Parts: sequence; C-alpha cells; structure tokens
Amino acid sequence: MSTLLFIIFAGMAIGCAIAMVSQSNPLYSAISLIGVFISLASIYVTLAAPFIAAVQVIVYAGAIMVLVIFVIMLLNVEHSEPRRKRLKFLVPMAIGMAAILLAETVFILRSVQTTENHLARNLSDVGLTHSIGEGLFTRYLLPFELTSVLLLMAIVGAMSLARRTSILSATARVVPGAQVLAMDIVNPSGVQDLRPVETETSEEAAHLLGVDFKSDHRELE
Amino acid sequence: MGPQLSWYLALSAVLFTIGAVGVIVKRNVIAMFMCIELMLNAVNLSFVAFSSFFQDVTGQLFVFIVMTVAAAEAAVGLGIIITIFRNRESLDVDDASILKL
Repeated sequence: MSTLLFIIFAGMAIGCAIAMVSQSNPLYSAISLIGVFISLASIYVTLAAPFIAAVQVIVYAGAIMVLVIFVIMLLNVEHSEPRRKRLKFLVPMAIGMAAILLAETVFILRSVQTTENHLARNLSDVGLTHSIGEGLFTRYLLPFELTSVLLLMAIVGAMSLARRTSILSATARVVPGAQVLAMDIVNPSGVQDLRPVETETSEEAAHLLGVDFKSDHRELE
Repeated sequence: MGPQLSWYLALSAVLFTIGAVGVIVKRNVIAMFMCIELMLNAVNLSFVAFSSFFQDVTGQLFVFIVMTVAAAEAAVGLGIIITIFRNRESLDVDDASILKL
C-alpha cells in the first residue's frame, strides 16, 4: 500500500516538474510547481511527518506561490521572444550536466541498495508538532532566533527594493499656491548658489522641478 | 515491503536534476526563480526521508529553517525582479547581464 502511494505521488511530482520546465508560459509553470509541492506534501505524510507536510502546503503552496503568481500577473509578460543565437550551447550543456547528476544518483543507489533499510513502523513522536517544537526551542534555539533576524532583514530589504523612487527627494513636497524653492532642490549641481527661487503657482514650480504637474494632480484626486 | 530509503533519495535527485536543467535552460527570470524553489524542495525531501528512516527530528528542523529561508528569498527575489522589470522593461536574464543600465 505504501509502495503504491509512493509510486503515485512520485510520478505526480516528476510529471509536474517536467511540465513546469517545459512550459513557456510562466503562469502554467507556476501551477505545475504547485502540483509538485502538493505531491511532495503527500509524500511527507506517508513518511510520518505531518507537521512538515502542513507547513509545506501553507508556506510553499500558499504563501510563496501566491506571491509568485501575483508578480507574474503584475508584470504581465506572456509573449515569448525567439531564442537568440548565442544561447544555443546552453541546451547541450544542460543535457550533459543532467547526465552527470543522474549518473551520480545511480552510483549512490547501487551503494545504498546493499543495506536493507525499511521505515520504522513503531509509533514514535518524531515528526509530530510536539517533538519539532521541543527541538526548535531547546537544542536549536540559536538557528531559530537567527531565522527571525533573517526574516526581519528580508522584510526591510523587500520594502526598500520595491519602493518607487521619483525625481524628487523623499522629503520634497509640491504644494499648491505661491511657494519658495531652495536652489539646491531645483538644480542639485548648482549647490554653491543657495539663493531661493520664488514661484507663483504650482505649475511653475512643477515646471522648474521637471515633473508633470497635471498627472500628479490627477493622481492625488 | 514498503518503499526504501534509496527510493526517496532517487526521487529527490531526479527533482533536483530537473530543477538544475530548468535553471540552465530557462530565460525568463521568474521561471528560473521557480526552478530554484524546486531544487530547494528536492533537498527538503531527502532531509525528511533521512529524518524518518533514522528516527531523528533534526532533519525536519532543517527543513523548517530551509522553508523560512525560501520565504525570505521569495520576498527579496521578487522585489529584485520587479526592480529589474521597471528599469529594463524585460524579464529576459540576458537583458540584465550588464550591471550598467
């Protein structure tokens, strides 16, 4: 029974992985990748690791793939350009490297196959939430805390990367009405002359700053 | 007779190989990103298999941490992809092979 389940889910995983690589539309390959994640989660359940299976579905198939599909739809690039000439050597190179990796697999299988090693069927608590929590908060507390620092760094990095930068500095604001603009804001190269420039209207100020006042104004409304 | 340890290792190696081939062959940067995720999952599978067969929870803790790193990588990597697309209007990795704009 467990052999049958392994064969079904392994076949699903390999089939979805091949479909993912062979698709040209990134959206279809993302959906195939979700299939790989789900079948791997099923394999984790047969390996008596229910916590990791749940986290696999929630984090990978849920959070990460939603983010990937969101970016694919945000950028909306579906047309595929013809392959360039100088990239032709990459396909034979990929075949050669795949052959090397599979040969290593066969070698490992031949040396591991001699030792009989069946899955222990006694009901131990390895893989349950209790044992994982105990390991995380006692022996592996330092990696756990380092992971939280890593996540904080990722949040700050992603926010600073995705922030839309404009011509003006972040502190500059264009307000309606008469206003006084410092010379170093108008022209940063002429900083030695710090006399302020006076403008009467927002259009004038926007023209001096080199921004499109009309579209900015419309966005604000 | 249930599935043996080497079966899981073989499945893990095959998935890793497919991911590596995808990283080399694909040109779309998002597709390459997904192939890297597939390689991470292949390694996770071998961790969980070893953990279950040797009745040791350490492998599953490693998988937990790898998943966290993958989530952080997804956030930062997709931010970089959006920035590349804004600056170059293309997702082809060959268009981004030069650091200068």
